[in-house]
Amino acid sequence: MIADNMTQAFQWTFNENDQEFSLHGSLRPQRADELNGCFSAMEQSVAKVSGKFYVNVRRLVRMNNVAFHAFAGKILDLVRSRSDLSVHVTTSSVVGWATRKFAVLETMSDKITVSEYDNEFYPGQSFVEDSEFIHVLRTQTKLTWRHEKELLRKHGLKPGMQVADICCGIGDFAVLLQKEFEPDRLVALDHSRSSLDYARRVAADFGIRGIDYVFGDAADMLLEDNQFDFVTCRHSLQVFDQPELILKELYRICKPGGRVYVTNEKNSHCLGEPRSESIQWTYNEVAKLWHHFDMDIEIGPKSRRLLIDGGFQNVTIGSFMVTNTDGDPQDFADVIASWKNLFAGKMAQERGDSPEFIERFAKGFDDHIFAALHPKGYAGWPIWVASGRKPL
Amino acid sequence: MQAPSEGISLNSGLPQMIHLDLDIKDFCTDWTHCDLMSGYIARMVSHNRLDSLLFSNLYSSALNELLEAVYRTHGSSGKLQCAVQRDGNVDRIELTFPADEETYKVYEAAIAKVNGDNAETLYLEALFADAEPDASLGLLELGVDYGARLAIGRNEDGRMSLVAELVLEDDAE
Ligand SMILES: C[S@@+](CC[C@H](N)C(=O)[O-])C[C@H]1O[C@@H](n2cnc3c(N)ncnc32)[C@H](O)[C@@H]1O
Repeated sequence: MIADNMTQAFQWTFNENDQEFSLHGSLRPQRADELNGCFSAMEQSVAKVSGKFYVNVRRLVRMNNVAFHAFAGKILDLVRSRSDLSVHVTTSSVVGWATRKFAVLETMSDKITVSEYDNEFYPGQSFVEDSEFIHVLRTQTKLTWRHEKELLRKHGLKPGMQVADICCGIGDFAVLLQKEFEPDRLVALDHSRSSLDYARRVAADFGIRGIDYVFGDAADMLLEDNQFDFVTCRHSLQVFDQPELILKELYRICKPGGRVYVTNEKNSHCLGEPRSESIQWTYNEVAKLWHHFDMDIEIGPKSRRLLIDGGFQNVTIGSFMVTNTDGDPQDFADVIASWKNLFAGKMAQERGDSPEFIERFAKGFDDHIFAALHPKGYAGWPIWVASGRKPL
Repeated sequence: MQAPSEGISLNSGLPQMIHLDLDIKDFCTDWTHCDLMSGYIARMVSHNRLDSLLFSNLYSSALNELLEAVYRTHGSSGKLQCAVQRDGNVDRIELTFPADEETYKVYEAAIAKVNGDNAETLYLEALFADAEPDASLGLLELGVDYGARLAIGRNEDGRMSLVAELVLEDDAE
């Protein structure tokens, strides 16, 4: 299941704008001179650079010591021969050996720095990893599962399949999938270590076996091409500033003929009665708030276009509404309360919103809760579900 | 058999997970065999780890260094065996391959460096030396960076074994 990178060629690219030289793929040469091509490209690149030269090894999956020895020497030569130049190496936390290996470069010269990129990967990460948010995600999944259980079947999920849940969060959806659909294999990937720790604990507590929780970057996964019958990615395209990149990866790991299934929201369409106006106003503001952090919480109906543009066939889209009448209205109210906490709390503060704004913003959530708990009230949260088939 | 380094035994008594057996000459016809074999074995042993992808990537890197060392430095003819085992979160890799005295000495010297007090200094020296690296660089890295325990032993059939014990994951599930 793990990418066999001997088939993944070694490549390099230079981005002059960013003064960044990137290495990709697998690098296990027998002799150092096999790197001559790369090194002369690097020399040409660095000639155009002043100040800081960025070397990006985030997508370098394998590297033996022959290569590293040659590479380390080259970097050291660079900073020694050019007094105006410093070098910054960016590694990835997903590639287990990389940061440790490259970090020794720092010991050789104070003009070389090394850091792990992923920490800053996505703007909302700190919000999502918040322990309160874990609670939101759990309740959300509880509410959406009622609907999705049937929808998943309609979108083609069957028992015994090879399934991947990308951006799995705290892994509760994977657990439900495992119980209901008994996939032959289930990989659940996320880029939050704390969420994965939580997911593994929950699975262990519930005696659930067979879910492979893996740490990874959805934009650049170590998973092999063409191996899953069904790839899910729920409520997550909306947290990336470039959802197309994630979709490309979902497409890549999906088998030809398999399907990619995504769910997304359009928060401005959340609704409630009574007090609809205040609710409406607040959710319009939610959309703007996410936009401020480079995330699009309005992606829902755009999913169809995203899938078609991503090369999928037989794209189907629909929507369902989670409401206070689905089950215990308190569950619905709990979700809204935690949105209020996060959106009108940490996120609004971080944007620098005024107390007056925050007060009005929070009021809409309170009104949504009011509608949900009102004996004659109705409160809804719409979700769009879309899937497409990877061509054979 | 010569006494292995302290605390690491050459006959572990653990069940074999995978055992590969091939002629050293066949192995050495193509450099990419190191990469293929390490990738293949890593994949086989990673499926039930805490994080299969991370584990496999690390395992493959470590095993590849061992295989590359053998590819470069080995005796002239005989079988190369690769046996991998696991005890809790300790993964054990044992490579057995033909070795004349000279070959054995190369490994002896390398292992002495790895198990010495100044392994880290020697690792940095080897890494930043101008000369092309020898077998010890990869092994030093395993010792210093991966915290591997390494040992060698002499077999009666003219072969030697190179054993590495690695903990690649903090706690097993
Ligand atoms: C809104 S949550 C959705 C979680 C889950 N699918 C659910 O529905 O409960 C978004 C998830 O994307 C994860 N994520 C963010 N950036 C990622 C990346 N680059 N690769 C993989 N996962 C990422 C976050 O850690 C978070 O768990």
